[in-house]
Parts: sequence; C-alpha cells; structure tokens
Amino acid sequence: MRTSLSARRGLLLLAAAALLGTAGLETPATAAPVRTDLVEAELVAEHGAPEPGKPLTVGLRLRAAKGWHTYWRNPGDSGQPTSIEWLLPSGYTAGPIQWPVPEKLPIGPLANYGYENEVLLLTDLAVPPGAKAPASLGARVKWLVCNPERCIPESAELSLALAGPAGPTQWAKAIDYAREALPEPAGAGWSFKASGAAGGVGLEIAPPADFSAKTLHFFPYEEGKVRHAASQALERRDGGLRLFVPAVEQPLGGFQRLHGVLVADGVRGFEIDVPVKGAVLAQVAGAATVASIGLLAALALAFAGGLILNLMPCVLPVLSIKVLGFARGHSAQEMRAHGLFYGAGVLASFLALAALLIALKAAGSAVGWGFQLQSPVFVGLLALLFTALALNLSGVFEFGSLVPARLAGATAKHPHADAFLTGILAVVVASPCTVPFMGAALGYALTESALVALAVFAALGTGMAAPYVLLAFEPRWLRRLPKPGPWMVTLKRWLALPLYATVAWLLWVLSIQVGIAGAQPEKDLWQPYSEARVAELVAQGKPVFVDFTAAWCVTCQVNKQLVLSRPETERDFAERGVVLLRADWTREDPEITRALASLGRNGVPVYVLYRPGREPRLLPEILTREVLQGALADLKS
Amino acid sequence: MKALLAAVLFAAGSALAGTVGQPAPDFTLADVSGKPVKLSDFRGRYVVLEWVNPECPYVEKHYGSANMQGLQKEFTSKQVVWLSINSTREGHYEYYPPQKMAGWMKQVGGAPSATLLDPSGKVGRAYQARTTPHMYIVDPKGMLVYAGGIDDKRSTSQADVKTAKNFVRAAMGEALAGKPISAASTPPYGCSIKY
Repeated sequence: MRTSLSARRGLLLLAAAALLGTAGLETPATAAPVRTDLVEAELVAEHGAPEPGKPLTVGLRLRAAKGWHTYWRNPGDSGQPTSIEWLLPSGYTAGPIQWPVPEKLPIGPLANYGYENEVLLLTDLAVPPGAKAPASLGARVKWLVCNPERCIPESAELSLALAGPAGPTQWAKAIDYAREALPEPAGAGWSFKASGAAGGVGLEIAPPADFSAKTLHFFPYEEGKVRHAASQALERRDGGLRLFVPAVEQPLGGFQRLHGVLVADGVRGFEIDVPVKGAVLAQVAGAATVASIGLLAALALAFAGGLILNLMPCVLPVLSIKVLGFARGHSAQEMRAHGLFYGAGVLASFLALAALLIALKAAGSAVGWGFQLQSPVFVGLLALLFTALALNLSGVFEFGSLVPARLAGATAKHPHADAFLTGILAVVVASPCTVPFMGAALGYALTESALVALAVFAALGTGMAAPYVLLAFEPRWLRRLPKPGPWMVTLKRWLALPLYATVAWLLWVLSIQVGIAGAQPEKDLWQPYSEARVAELVAQGKPVFVDFTAAWCVTCQVNKQLVLSRPETERDFAERGVVLLRADWTREDPEITRALASLGRNGVPVYVLYRPGREPRLLPEILTREVLQGALADLKS
Repeated sequence: MKALLAAVLFAAGSALAGTVGQPAPDFTLADVSGKPVKLSDFRGRYVVLEWVNPECPYVEKHYGSANMQGLQKEFTSKQVVWLSINSTREGHYEYYPPQKMAGWMKQVGGAPSATLLDPSGKVGRAYQARTTPHMYIVDPKGMLVYAGGIDDKRSTSQADVKTAKNFVRAAMGEALAGKPISAASTPPYGCSIKY
C-alpha cells in the first residue's frame, strides 16, 4: 500500500534545534537532510543567523532519486506542486516560493512540468526588527514525486537552526546561483504580441538585439489552457520570432493571456504576461484525421496521388510522347533500362524537392508544397519550357534543329540519360497540379520527421513512375496500342493544345506575381484572409468560409469557375450570411502557410467552413455544389 | 521521439473529443464480468464517467474517505448511471485484470453502475482523460456537459475532502434541477493515466 511517508525524524530535529536555539550555542545554520524513499529534503539558509529587519533567503533543497521528479507551480497534465507551510518565530513572514525554470517531462501522450534530480526552491523571509539572533525555522513540506510509471505523495517536517555567525553559510553560493538562474521579467528591450489562431495562440516575439536562442518553450502558470505535451513550433523571421503555442480544445475560462515563463535553450527563463487578441479557434474537423492517417495510409495515398498525376493535363502530353516513342521498337532489354532510368529520374526529382523543402523548413522558413510556383522566376522558366514542348509537338522544330547538334547527338548516344531527364521533366511539369488527397499525404509528411517525409515523397514518385516502368517491363501491353504511322503526327499536333493552354495560364500566373495584372479586382463578396479577421468574425458568431487558393493551382481555378464563382453559390452564401475570405497563396505568405499547417495541410486548395458554436469543417479539395450546399444546409441545424 | 510522435498523434486524433457542449464520444467497453456496456444505451439518463486507478494515491484519497462511493450511491439512487473506467494499459504493473478490479471495487464498497476496463486506452484518449480521477457528465441527449476534476482541493489528504468544493456534486445538482451547469469545465488533478 502506498501511504504518505511522513518523515517523523524531522519533528525530533525540530525539537533538537529549538533546544540548541535556547541554549544559544554558536553553531552554523544546521539542519540534517531528511530522507524518504525517493527524496532527500533539506532546508538551507543564505546566512548563518537572522539579521533584524533584513530579508533572509532560505532554500528547500529536494533531491529526487534517479528518474524521479518533483513538480513546478503548474504541474502540467497531472501531478502536484511542492508546497511549504512555514513554522516561523513570531514576527517572521515568508514570501512565495521562487520557482526555477521547469523542464517538460513527457509521460506517454501527456506531459508534466517539474524538476528531475535536484532543485533548490528559494523563499525570502522577512525578519522582524526585533528578531533575536539564534532562531529556529520549521517547515511542513509536501511534495509529489513521480517517475513516468508511478507517483508517490511524500511529506516531511524540516527544521533549520540559525545559530551560527551572521555571515554567508556554505549554501550561500548555491543560493546565489539559484537566484541568478530564476526567471526574470521580460522587461525593456522585449516586445510581444499574441493572437488567437486555429488550435492555439501565435506569440510574436521581438527580443532585445543581443538575444539569441536555439529553442524556446512557453510554460504557462495556469493549467487547462496550453496543451502541455505539445511541442511549440518556433519560426524565425527577419528581426523577430514567432512561437506557436497549441491550446487544449476547451481552454478553461477562455484563453485571454499568455502568463508564464518563456524558456530559452531550456535554461534561461523570461516571465511574460501578454494579452491574447482574438479567439483561439477550434481545430478543424478533418484536420485531425489528416494528421493521424498514419504512415502506411500516407504512403498509400501518396502512391495513388502519384498515379493520378500522370493523367494531369500538364503531364499527359509529355508522357504520351514518351509512350509513343516506345512503340518505335526497341529491344526488350533497352526498354527495361529506359523504364528504370525514367523511374529513377522521377524518384530523384521528388526526393530532391523533398530535401529542399525539409531544408527550407529546418532553416525556419514557412514553406509548403507548391512553394516552387511561388517564385516568378520558376514560373517564367516553366512557361518557356512548356512553350518549347508545345512548339516541338506542333512540329515547328525538332529538338535537334534547335539544340546544338552535339547535344542532340548526346541524347541519341545516351538514351539512359535521356530517359532520366524525361523523368525529371515529368516531375517539373507536374508541379502545378495538386491532386486530391495528395494534400493529406504531403501535409502528414511535412509534420513528421525528415525520414518520413522522404518516404512519402518517394511513394509519390514511385506512383508516378509506376505505369511507365510497368509498360517497359510488359511490352505486350504496348502492342495493344495502334501501330505507329502518320496518325501519330496528327495526335502530336492535338497534344500540343493543352500545352499551349498551360503556357497561357503560366503567363497569367506570372503577370499576377510580378504585379502587371495587379491584384485581381475581386468582387466585394470576398475579403482578404487573416487569422485575426477569422477570429474576429467567429467571435461575432458569424459563419465564415475560407478559400485557400493560388493562381498557379489548377484545382483551385477549376473549383472557382465551376462552384465558387457561380451566381447560385454566391446566393447560397448570402442567404446564410456567410462571410467569405480568400487566402491567396500565389506568392509566398507565411501567415497562410501557417494556417494551412494548422489544418494539417501543406498545399492548396483547402476549403474551411467556420460554424458558430461548433467545430470548423474542412471541405474536400474537389469541390462540388452539392458538397457545398450540404455543408451550408448543415449550418442551420 | 516516440513520445513526441505519440503526443502529436494523440493531440491530432482527439482534437474534437471530450469537449463540453459536443456529443460525448460513444463507446462499448467490457465490464469486470466481461459484459459489454455501451454508452449510447443510456440515452435518456445522465451518465457520470469516472476515471479510476486503484493504485493512484489521489484515487485512494477519494475512496479512502468514502467520498467517491458516497457520490456513486447518491446519484445512482437518482437514476443516474455511473461508469467507473480504468484505462491503465495491460502490462503496466498498476494494471488490474477484471477479477482483481471487481474485487477491489467490492472491497472498498464502491457502488458504480458498472466498472469498465479500457486497457487499450482508446476510450480514455477519446475523452482526453488525463488523470485519475478525471470526471465527465453526459446528459440524457448524449451531450458532454461536464469535464474536469472531482473537487478544488488538489491533494492526497483525505481531510481535504470535507472542505473542498465538489464539482461533480455541484454540476449534477444543477443538471438534475434543470439548471445550466455553472462550472462545466474545471482542471482535473491526480495521477497521470497509465496509457
């Protein structure tokens, strides 16, 4: 049975100390440590004797057995802070415990805030002007000591005889050191801004110029608001930092302020109290399932997404040329090698993209899938590439006539290199197309470790390369294709059309990006998106629809034309008083990237319907009027 | 890393669960005699969910002082269903197999409507139960109307039970009187659940 292990020895010590005190013996401040099963507890003082009218710092030293911990003032998901009930000579008063910087101690899916090994909890005592020199201090101390498996409440009665010379004791140095290490108020030189966002609070931090830290973590004084176990993402921006503090679903008493300690590099603490503007929004329904789809599901989704990429209008023409090339009759061995090199090219490109994305994220940039297309340079080059491909298909030129003969010859001489390059080309041209549920897989990938992210991207590449590689290994399937002939030339001319369309579209994207077309004068129906605006509207109890979109995102444009911009849809929105916000990701925008991440996504399109009084709802990437109408009808109930 | 991954999945997987004002996640769990018990079978009645672990000092406080048994008797006599759930994982040394759990409940004179075992922790996680005890109230329509602690005195001292404000009694009192629950979310305290 686990009962409270009261250290009775402490009482005896207290009595002994009192005796010593009355005897007036000149001994240094003494107190024997009290040992329970798991903790060694002791009172220590900075000075050997009280000085009348001057404060005296005393410390409670708790040393927990290896692997065990005691608690901070907010214990986290479970546990109990250490408490001290002082038994002091008359006229003395004790201040509060001065808590050192805590550690986050994970326990399965939960977390505790506390101290492993040894902690020195300081308290300042006010010594009355008439205090007598030898004095005896007592304290009833209760603590909970836990390891990840079990918790034991313990208590002790501790005493400390202050009967020595008035100078510093052997503990003075340790106490001074502990005092220096206490969290300090984040005062001059710091500025903070906190605002509610989906699933938590964004804390903008402008630290003093000489401040630098590798890690930051916010420990709240209050329970029931911050998700204790969650990691807090730190983002670096020019001149500032942004820490995302995830909240529990139902912050107790609302989330009005961030009051607690901001801990840099696990050791330096800065006390902050920052009001939170706007409401903390519930996590979006569906976002949860996205993030928790698990590795296998993410791999399967990525593979399927890769397969479907082959059918996208930007990819299909390029690939069909290749397939037709097969039909020209190579030896089986050559064809297999071709297929494998093509697959390797696809895979290598996806892995390179993934590596770049991971590196950018690790460096603190807020980037997402499709980030390449946010660069006008990339879009411009892509437009040129598509132009060349389209002209080639139209028969305006053969590559040989444009590319120096030596290079063209090289292509012929190195068919493997050619196949590999085709693989790269396929990935490059596929990049404007996001495919349904690729968003989910990539969103998952990028919230996980680099290795998982690479695996998911590899699955995507494998899916994209699979049909072509299979064809290379099973040429019998190829024989079902019509025999080569003049019809191929005609087909090529037709296949050029989607490519021209792609060029036109890329130029349109480019014109928006470089500002020639300017911000498209949206109809007044749509307002620009911001986290603060959503929080404000939701707080007013209004339903809000957010369209996360980008000019370079084909699916987004299709949804816009077929659903969102239709007059009847606009009427539906108006009837239900839905406020429409558009988050345009055509150019890089960290706020939107962050919002996407909080939805478990890393690309567009994403459609979210915020419903007053209920959790927000995520709508599918392929939007239909029926789906939207259903979601809107659901608003009323 | 594993812990972090678990934390992320936990956080994500239960983003909507165990939220006051939302439907209470439905579940079916075997009681200590092996009989399946389904939450939604109790529609039309109030249901109290109590997370319990006999090895936890905070649970000992509330059973040692007969506080928990008293609440169980008080409310089951008013047609309220009381489900005590142990989510300790099998394999943890604090895990009680069905018979042992039944024996303990009998020994302490507990009077819940059923004592349920959730060794996979699925139900505990769905409610985001963090501590033992951690208390929930489901209304006759199946909505979660209370989530939080048993009372406001965070301690293992049985003496504190008398002076503490018991949140569950207050909430059930208001609910049964047809009044809105004034403190519908409170901080739970206790041992962490051994998921």
